[in-house]
Amino acid sequence: MKNLDSVLAAYMAGWAIFFLFYLSVERRTAALRDEIERLKKLVQKER
Amino acid sequence: MLKTALTALTVLFLIAITTYLAFFYAPVERTMGPIQKIFYLHLPSAFTAFIAMGVCFTANLLYVFRREHKWDWLGVAAAEVGLVFISVVLVTGPIWAHPVWGIWWTWDARLTLTFVLWLLYISYLLLRSMVEEGDKRALLSAIFGIFAFLDVPLVYFSIRWWRTQHPQPVILGGPGSGLEPRMRVAYLLVWGAFTGLMILLLRARYRLEAMRADVDGLRREVEAR
Amino acid sequence: MGLLQTAGILLAKELRTEWRSRELVTTTVVFILLVVVLFSFTFDPSSSESRRFGPGLLWLAFLFAASLMLQSCFVREQVNDTLSALRMSVEDPFAIFLAKLCANTLFLLLTELLLLPVFSVLYNVPVLKVWPSLLLVLFAGSLGVCVTGTAMAAISAQARMRELLLPLLLLPLLTPVLIASTEATAALLAEAPSLRLDWLGILAAFDIVFLTALWLFGEYLLEE
Repeated sequence: MKNLDSVLAAYMAGWAIFFLFYLSVERRTAALRDEIERLKKLVQKER
Repeated sequence: MLKTALTALTVLFLIAITTYLAFFYAPVERTMGPIQKIFYLHLPSAFTAFIAMGVCFTANLLYVFRREHKWDWLGVAAAEVGLVFISVVLVTGPIWAHPVWGIWWTWDARLTLTFVLWLLYISYLLLRSMVEEGDKRALLSAIFGIFAFLDVPLVYFSIRWWRTQHPQPVILGGPGSGLEPRMRVAYLLVWGAFTGLMILLLRARYRLEAMRADVDGLRREVEAR
Repeated sequence: MGLLQTAGILLAKELRTEWRSRELVTTTVVFILLVVVLFSFTFDPSSSESRRFGPGLLWLAFLFAASLMLQSCFVREQVNDTLSALRMSVEDPFAIFLAKLCANTLFLLLTELLLLPVFSVLYNVPVLKVWPSLLLVLFAGSLGVCVTGTAMAAISAQARMRELLLPLLLLPLLTPVLIASTEATAALLAEAPSLRLDWLGILAAFDIVFLTALWLFGEYLLEE
């Protein structure tokens, strides 16, 4: 098929962008979840 | 944990569906050949980016007049997700153009407009990163977002008229012209799938922003003691 | 006291402040001159080339100069917190914006008019025979730059890295102004000059849209 490598490159690049964004959001969410747990414990301790 | 797994599965499902539609359901285009398949990624991303832009604008307006945090969270989520879809448009365009035209970039009307929109989104996000205080950040970025949205029709017309005066190779030679019914169905379904993808990404990013607000609240509680 | 009256008084204050030091207009004029000279090194300034590139580089120079000139607009009110005093003393906060954007437009227009003969001589471009239409285009474009610029100055004054942030916010928004002003100016400086009402129309639309937006949302930019 003509230009198949370009088609594949485009689709891989496109999906990679979506995937990387989703990954970054999930990573930041997990980090925040840990931070919330840590802060909650601090608040409990001082009560 | 379950929610993340479900979301990941839905995303994979959407990818599978769009790939099937683009490569197996839709016929091969006569003049361009298989490279036209890139449009099934390129165009629906552009339409979805416009939807995200509309969501961002609405959220900005609602924040300015109601001052409820959730509108600020929705605004930044829509802006980041919109930026992602616009980036896909900007990346897939040149990858299509190079084998067809032999050039990576041309300042044709659509690509130029897309680039300017990309820059406007970036400015919005940069502004947010330069304001520390939450309420101030929300208000200032909401107003900039409103100004940016009002600018879009003016940008569109000025670029289009400018390009009719100084024509360039048209990157997208009217893919809507002479569209076979199966192609049209494929475009619509892929666009639907992309809208679904947008909603998933929006929800994840919105949740992240809401959590950030929780963290700030807890931090203030800890420091108050 | 009416909106226009208040704005008039504030405008007089802005003009008086600038007249005392005259530093804003002078430094802006010198900056544009520098840009015009530096640009001449980047292409062969024959007559036909100048007609092609001249209008574009002129408006680019104006845009860059404006984004520098507008920096001090609201920052100078933060020094002694004169902004709070201003806010408390006027009924309609839009008066503050109206005064500032009129002052900025006047300053920008003045620098442009000072630069025009220099540009005309350096690049062999005829400006005298079309000066009324050219003035109209300069006014419409500069107004658009300053309406948006004053709003963005109010935003960036409340953020970090405001010197870099202001151009970053302002320049993408000004895309229609750059295109329309350049095209209209190029048409006026061409061998057969013509006044392009379509481009002027875009400038007018831009000015009206953003003036209205500033009127609707300006007060929120001045909140504490």
